[in-house]
Amino acid sequence: MPNNLSYENVTMRFEGRSGAVQALDRFDFQVKSSEFLVIVGPSGCGKSTLLHLTAGLYKPPTGRILLGGEEVREPGPDKAIVFQNFSLFPWKTVHDNIDFGLRINGVPAADREDQIKRVIRLIGLDGFENHYPRQLSGGMQQRVAIARSFVLKPRTLLMDEPFAALDAQNRQIMQEELVRIWQTQRPTVMFITHSVEEAVFLADRVIVMTRRPGRVKEVIDIANITGDHHWRADPFDEVIRRADFQDVRSRIWGLVKSEISVRN
Amino acid sequence: MNGSARSNALARALFGALSVGSLLFTWWLVTSLELVKPLILPPPSDVWVGFLDIWHGYLNVPFWNHFLASISVMLGGYAMAIAIGVPLGIFMAWNRAVDWVVGPLLQILRPIPPPAWIPLAILWFGIGYAGKIFIVFIAAAVPCILNSYLAIKQTPPELLSSARSLGAKPHTLLFEVAIPSGLPTIMTGLRIALGIAWASIVAAELVVSLAGFGFLIMNGYRNLESNIVFVGMAAVALLGLLMNLVFHRIERAMLPWREDQDNG
Repeated sequence: MPNNLSYENVTMRFEGRSGAVQALDRFDFQVKSSEFLVIVGPSGCGKSTLLHLTAGLYKPPTGRILLGGEEVREPGPDKAIVFQNFSLFPWKTVHDNIDFGLRINGVPAADREDQIKRVIRLIGLDGFENHYPRQLSGGMQQRVAIARSFVLKPRTLLMDEPFAALDAQNRQIMQEELVRIWQTQRPTVMFITHSVEEAVFLADRVIVMTRRPGRVKEVIDIANITGDHHWRADPFDEVIRRADFQDVRSRIWGLVKSEISVRN
Repeated sequence: MNGSARSNALARALFGALSVGSLLFTWWLVTSLELVKPLILPPPSDVWVGFLDIWHGYLNVPFWNHFLASISVMLGGYAMAIAIGVPLGIFMAWNRAVDWVVGPLLQILRPIPPPAWIPLAILWFGIGYAGKIFIVFIAAAVPCILNSYLAIKQTPPELLSSARSLGAKPHTLLFEVAIPSGLPTIMTGLRIALGIAWASIVAAELVVSLAGFGFLIMNGYRNLESNIVFVGMAAVALLGLLMNLVFHRIERAMLPWREDQDNG
């Protein structure tokens, strides 16, 4: 099943107190199946809106979003979304948080236990099954949130600044972990971040968006620059010291900066 | 609990004992020096006699009759308030139409203090149990409705979005996300309602009753036996305290995932 995402002239506006806000303006883009796409851009450029629309949480007033050729109409486990603040159910243990999606989607009990065990091992949280979210560090909570989505075998994984709430060390570890987890199933990833380094390290391609109303400013094909041996295959702290990595990083940062500083 | 927390708790208990002790001592001193008349402030010994009086059947009514009269009516009205108030608050918060229909009625009835209902309750239901249960119900239902309403309205939007993205349908969102997420707020409402229920049963008994702690207090007053008034008030205070403690235990057992469970 192809898991490519097509955005066809997607527009989104919100009615606010101080009039309507145009969040996205004719966003037109193709994401390849199993691609790791990272989006950067100034605050309020409509990145999060784009992700919520892709998840089917809202419907765009004009334009269409297609996943594998079918129009996205409602949210569902094939379009998993992971938020910055983890959004785990605080009254459920790690085990029950992961079980939630499996259970409500009618997976038989015997299979569920098996899959939960496997995904908990994948994220390295064996022994924490019966902990509540508040008993875990931020990094561990975000692993559970990723596992909770990942166990449903989503066709696309939508991540809204997933590591922004973590400290620098945990962030680095989670970036490497995410690559490892992603490679076991390779869903199409849409990943939003404010960190240009994170974008350059993780992405097959990086989209730089304009300030509001958000449009595609430029697309940087990282995989084309790195060739077969992608930066994400190596440890993050080694990669960021390399000159070719820094070149790309500063080029993208320049593009983002021009969108932040060009005001009025 | 660490060392400093333990010595804090010790100091707190010590100061508490000291303040209660000095109140009792002042009471004893003022009455034994006969600075005030026994009718205004009966000496501790008189109150003890009054207690023995009540314990052995004041005016030929056994103590447990008073206890059962107050407690059974209170629990009856309280249970009704929970059974009707909590679902009503939840459905008002979940369904706009219910909110629009029921909301204005509540806004009209809410400012009426529970004791103001007493005459009407007697006219409608007579001076037996039914009238007092009605008073307790009216008084306790308000915090049940309001807190349940708030609890559902304050469900973090990202929890709902996450659940929808994991495949949850509306009834799952209500019963498995909004209600458990709001349970602490609902429980707070039930705790407030318990205190109000206890206050209103005593108030109702002060006006009309043949048994119960409110009856004891009023009878002591009519017979100019202020020691009986004191015993009645002390019994109301102690039972109120005890009920609050029991409720606190139940609350903790029901919400093992709460943040504040580790301290204290």
